Amino acid sequence: MSKTQNSYIEPFRHPDHGELNSFGWRWIIHYNILPTPHAKVILRKQNKGRTKVTAVDLKQTVLVDKDLQIRAYYAGHVLGAAMFYAKVGDAAIVYTGDYNMTPDRHLGAAQIDRLQLDLVITESTYATTVRDSKYVREREFLKAVHKCVASGGKVLIPTFALGRAQELCMLLDDYWEQMNLKVPIYLSSGLTIQANMYYKVLINWTSQKVKSTSATRNAFDFKNVHSFDRSMINAPGPCVLLATPGMISGGFSLDVFKQWAPCEQNLIILPGYCVAGTVGHRLLSANSPAKVNVDESTQIDVRCQIHQLSFSLHTDSKGIMDLVKFLSPKHVILVHGEKPKMALLKERIESDFGIPCYYPANNESVCIPSTNYVKAEMSKSFLQSSLSPNFKFLKTISRADADFILNERTESFVQVCDDRVVEGTLAMQKEKQAKIVHQNELMVILGAENHEVQVAYCCPVCVSYELKDVALAPGENMPPVLDKRSLLHLLYTKLSNDFQDVTIQNDGDRLQIESFTVSACLKEKCPHRIHVKPDSTSEAVNFCCMWSMEDEKLAWRVISIMKNLELKTG
Amino acid sequence: MEHILRSNLETNENNSPQAILRALSLVSNPSTSDSTLSSIAKILIISLENPNPNSNSHLFLHHHILRLFSLLFHHRPHVHHDVISAVRAFSLLPSTSTRSLADALACLSISDSNLNDESTFLYLVLQPCVSVRHWLLLNVSKFDIRPSVLFTVLIGLTKDPYPLIRNVALNGLADLCKCIVVEDENLIQGCYFRAVKCLFDSEDSVRCSAVRAVSACGQLIVASKQERSKGDWSDALFLQLCSMVRDMSVKVRVEVFNALGKIETVSEYILLQTLSKKASAATKKMNFPGQYSDKKFRIPATSASLAFLYGLEDEFNEVRESACRALQTLAILYAGFSNEVVNLLMVVLNDDSMAVRLQALDTLHQMAMSGHLKVQEAHLPRFLGMLLDSQSLIRFTARKVLKLTELPSLDMFKRCVDGLIRDLELYPQDEAEVFSALFMIGQNHGKFLVSLINEASQMIEPSSGGKLGYDNVRKASYLVLAASAPVSMKQQTCSIPPRMFSYAVTLLGRVSRSLADIVDQRTLLAYLSYCSRFTFVSAAEFFKMEEHLEEGDVQLTQRREVSKYHIWRKLQLKEAESSLLDFQVEHNKEINCVNIILQVVIDIWPSLKLGLTDEVTRTLRCLKAELGTISNHNHRGELVFALQYIDALERLGHLWSHLVFSKEFYFHEWGKLECSLKKLDRCLRDMRYKLIGLTKEDNFLILELIIANGIVKLCNMEACANKTILKKLHSMMSCIKHICGEESTESSNFVVEVQKSLSEIDSTNCPILDNPYLLLKSLEHFTPRKVVLLGNLKYMEAELRFQGSEFQNPLPFISGLPVGLSLDITLHNISSENSLWIKMSLEEKLTQFVFLDLHEIEGHDEPRKFTFVAPFYQTPKASCFTLKICIVLECMSDDDQVPRGCGGPKHEVAHLCEEKEVYFSVEVR
Repeated sequence: MSKTQNSYIEPFRHPDHGELNSFGWRWIIHYNILPTPHAKVILRKQNKGRTKVTAVDLKQTVLVDKDLQIRAYYAGHVLGAAMFYAKVGDAAIVYTGDYNMTPDRHLGAAQIDRLQLDLVITESTYATTVRDSKYVREREFLKAVHKCVASGGKVLIPTFALGRAQELCMLLDDYWEQMNLKVPIYLSSGLTIQANMYYKVLINWTSQKVKSTSATRNAFDFKNVHSFDRSMINAPGPCVLLATPGMISGGFSLDVFKQWAPCEQNLIILPGYCVAGTVGHRLLSANSPAKVNVDESTQIDVRCQIHQLSFSLHTDSKGIMDLVKFLSPKHVILVHGEKPKMALLKERIESDFGIPCYYPANNESVCIPSTNYVKAEMSKSFLQSSLSPNFKFLKTISRADADFILNERTESFVQVCDDRVVEGTLAMQKEKQAKIVHQNELMVILGAENHEVQVAYCCPVCVSYELKDVALAPGENMPPVLDKRSLLHLLYTKLSNDFQDVTIQNDGDRLQIESFTVSACLKEKCPHRIHVKPDSTSEAVNFCCMWSMEDEKLAWRVISIMKNLELKTG
Repeated sequence: MEHILRSNLETNENNSPQAILRALSLVSNPSTSDSTLSSIAKILIISLENPNPNSNSHLFLHHHILRLFSLLFHHRPHVHHDVISAVRAFSLLPSTSTRSLADALACLSISDSNLNDESTFLYLVLQPCVSVRHWLLLNVSKFDIRPSVLFTVLIGLTKDPYPLIRNVALNGLADLCKCIVVEDENLIQGCYFRAVKCLFDSEDSVRCSAVRAVSACGQLIVASKQERSKGDWSDALFLQLCSMVRDMSVKVRVEVFNALGKIETVSEYILLQTLSKKASAATKKMNFPGQYSDKKFRIPATSASLAFLYGLEDEFNEVRESACRALQTLAILYAGFSNEVVNLLMVVLNDDSMAVRLQALDTLHQMAMSGHLKVQEAHLPRFLGMLLDSQSLIRFTARKVLKLTELPSLDMFKRCVDGLIRDLELYPQDEAEVFSALFMIGQNHGKFLVSLINEASQMIEPSSGGKLGYDNVRKASYLVLAASAPVSMKQQTCSIPPRMFSYAVTLLGRVSRSLADIVDQRTLLAYLSYCSRFTFVSAAEFFKMEEHLEEGDVQLTQRREVSKYHIWRKLQLKEAESSLLDFQVEHNKEINCVNIILQVVIDIWPSLKLGLTDEVTRTLRCLKAELGTISNHNHRGELVFALQYIDALERLGHLWSHLVFSKEFYFHEWGKLECSLKKLDRCLRDMRYKLIGLTKEDNFLILELIIANGIVKLCNMEACANKTILKKLHSMMSCIKHICGEESTESSNFVVEVQKSLSEIDSTNCPILDNPYLLLKSLEHFTPRKVVLLGNLKYMEAELRFQGSEFQNPLPFISGLPVGLSLDITLHNISSENSLWIKMSLEEKLTQFVFLDLHEIEGHDEPRKFTFVAPFYQTPKASCFTLKICIVLECMSDDDQVPRGCGGPKHEVAHLCEEKEVYFSVEVR
């Protein structure tokens, strides 16, 4: 897919864009926002093999068929570049080709909503580069140009057809205005016509600045920029020329290059990246001055200065990270980049955000689990309870890591949670739709009873009698109820001393700690009693203990204390 | 017509929508008479009170009736008490549905009556109806809810599934955080992390308010921390906000930069990181509490990387503007950072949007005011370009910056002057402003100015034929510059040809107009003509002499540029005040209010120091009035403390500004000044001796104030009585040292500075202080300390009453014989250890003290009440006289002893009550 056709996307055909088979999607979107005549050209080209072309506007949602919907988001980069959100059933992805996260003079930064995504597929041209401030880069560029024209040299800036030329023109024009320079800036004539047409139609895709001024004046009408004629190539005096193609692979820029390169005063400003095999690439790799073979027969002695432009329409690694951070998808796939750099970026994404990341090679398949929602009915009472807020506060010691609070002892802090969803239980029955019911209803729906495991133990406790007047034989003449109560009370006071962290309830007949209950056992034969040898020195009274499973630890703590107790009456 | 409608409404059983419609048209019609309205109201009340239980439409009906009432309150706020009571009754009915209840509350809230019900609020807010919840949260301020309760409810609601609710809940938290004090640290931190979590919300609006909440809550935490952890928290907050600067929503980004601008301190390495992509070694390792992504709960310091740069390069001018503004406070923290910022802002001056350019200039101005603006050669073209901007506001601000800029070289000075002159040539309407700017930069760069004028003197000289061509802009500008040339009044010399001053007189009208805020026309004329008689010495010689000159020789002092800063401060102040009123702090209400007010007072001290006395006085009076509304006898001590503290600061500020800013000194002001000093003295003495339960911190604060007072006194009165004051200063310093030594109370900059200057003075060994301005310098460091009152101050007071002495009904006496006065005395918070005296003074000349021995007086209840007969011995030889009586407390620990003849207290005294007048007259037989 060439740069000029960037206004439509075909995810499948890009050589390094990886397979999407795991989604089981067999779709190709032809998206074309360009109006006639450009659109027609593309349509004609594409229509040979395909059937349908649909134009998509920014943030417009298109239902491709029953399952698939797509939406385009602004991507910066060049006019017409877009990111795509696609959703099949419940699985959602964002696919973005080239995009830019920092605004240009004429284009804005990419803009997208925060969506629930399973996957983001992003380009990674600059997977490791972090770019400097725009101001610094612009200043460097302008300084180089200014220096050259001030000393009477000519500046050649080979550019791509659209976008970049306008950007540079805006920059130069502003600077010229500011510094009051009179040196002419030329734009090879084809560029201006094209640009004006596109930008008028696509004003929606430009930055806030261009949009806001568009009502009063065309931002692309430059005061200091004139169109260029071939006859002016050898005209004396300094000038700045923007010509296509960008990498000096032929055409007009090559013609000019041949003429201007041998002169030391002149300056050639090359884009940041040139494809191997072009003159541009050779210039960048050679040390100036050098001899460069333009074609088989001609060799040019390059004496002019060469400056590399550090502007790019692609986002840098920080931009990719920021996009991934903002979207927070469940998975990330990196495409369109160099492998070692992608590996580094993958590491960073995984370590910084904890999002699994892949960078499949051509023909490699990646399996991505996707979201699948199950529709469930809601019971009325659950609906009712989930409508009203139901929050509570928890004290947590710390979050994921222990040394959470900086330079301070670990502190607890309050966390809030809303319980309304937690109170629901998903009930799935055979051949019926899933249903969410309130936890209170669950038993009714299941038609089951609530079973609880209770554990019981009849614990003997030593009792010693210190009776002043009457010595009583064990088991005789003692009014059992009164005795039971008083013993229980004794036990209560003993236990209250030992268990100050829990509340013990005493309702006369039994003691209760959480679910643990103690009552005096009057049965001759208690099924929970394990027979032990009766102690001869003091009398043992049995207490029946019952508890449910969750309080087991507590229960055994209590019992072990009870066993070692000696209750004194008197 | 009226009757027909009325009957129509009645006969229609007032249930139908038509009736409602009719009523609506009547209510909204401004010419409907009051009587009609009240009858409509009556009918509506009836239908509100007796809903038809069978019909389902009563909900609808209630809704509309209540809406009608709201409209009624809106149009005729003065009418219908019965309507209010009916609505109130309706809202209390158990059968009222949630919806109607909310409607009723909305209706009541319009009528200004207090809703005053926490439980209703809680009941409603936990109901399923979302719109009601939303309304409640928006109108929280109309309910009287304890902040702690409100706080928890709001935190809980940030979990709401509806973004609308989350949004208002977070906004509510942000507002609430601005006006509470931290009681439960865990809860506040919980709130902070909850708000941080909301930064990752999928809704733009929620993220926006989350930023606000994070900022407010973070500030609260930062304010509650001490020293080291304060800085750490501040950094953490800064980084947390920085992680949001690349949000996709413009509103969020704007909000983020607004919030960043509110942070007061950030570590330097983090700030530098915001402008550079390279992570320094220090940054790489650091981690702070916060949330970096969905799963990562620590925020690395590197996340600040390029944050401000992205803001300044943003596509949207709103964001760029906000980023420029955010730099205002942060840029002045560190010199290294401010240089970077200046570089950047100079680029921003090229921005297409005027708002951004203006804000960038404002930020530069702010930096210039704090002395952090270092303009380099490379910046000048852009900066001077601003002077020629087509927008007058931009030119105005640019000149303002220029006035304060320090230029390092003569060349730059010349270019600036040229720039100003070009401005004047292009825009003649700027004349006054340009002249004033020229004058200022001339004053600021004396040496450059002298060489410039001497170079250009040829051009200024009248052309042949003796014609002064001063309608020429350039010549006129140079003359204005010349008027600002440094002169030495003592030596009567000047460094430029003195005739320049007389030439400048020809422009008197124009110049004086532009210098209106510095000097008046008469003074200027006098000054110019005086200077024109001076002798001319070469610049080198002049400046050599100048070095030996005393400070304070410059005649035309400039008033500092403060307006913008002031407005900004004032806004902050307003905010604080309004939020104070919005949320009544229930628990320990008074103490909290007092503390908040004290905080506000401390916040406005900088403006007071800048000489904005009028504005600040107004605000302080408001605050005092606010304090006055708090009437609670349990906390009388705190109230008195706060009032006196404000009083003392106000007076100190007044004196200070008088000292620094006054253009000339008239003799008649002397009395006023002295009076002011005395009042301050008395106020401070009261604070020191009459309050019981002062902490060391409080004592320190009072001592500092006393020292400041002493210095102001020294400087204002100069020669008079400086020995005693110096002595007092020394003793106060030793007190402070004592406090510092005993406790871990931090000594302040101010104290250290004073100590330095005092020892400097001592070393000169001069008996008379010949340069009190040495001390004045240290006063620059004075800032009021932060006070937090805990609520256990007691205030000593006394009440004095007589039996039967009025003007018409004087007490009898016999001249020359003692007379006894029977006084009813009530003492508050006074123990027997205090030595009290009864002071009786006869027309200022004759004062007699009677000791009040508290050990001999029975009764130890609080307050103590008793009757005491005080003898007055020296009754004059007159037929009638007036005696002023009051109870005073001897300030025992005060060091300066007052020599007094006939007994009486040996120390200074503080009045415990108002002076009362007693009238005597010779008994007529």
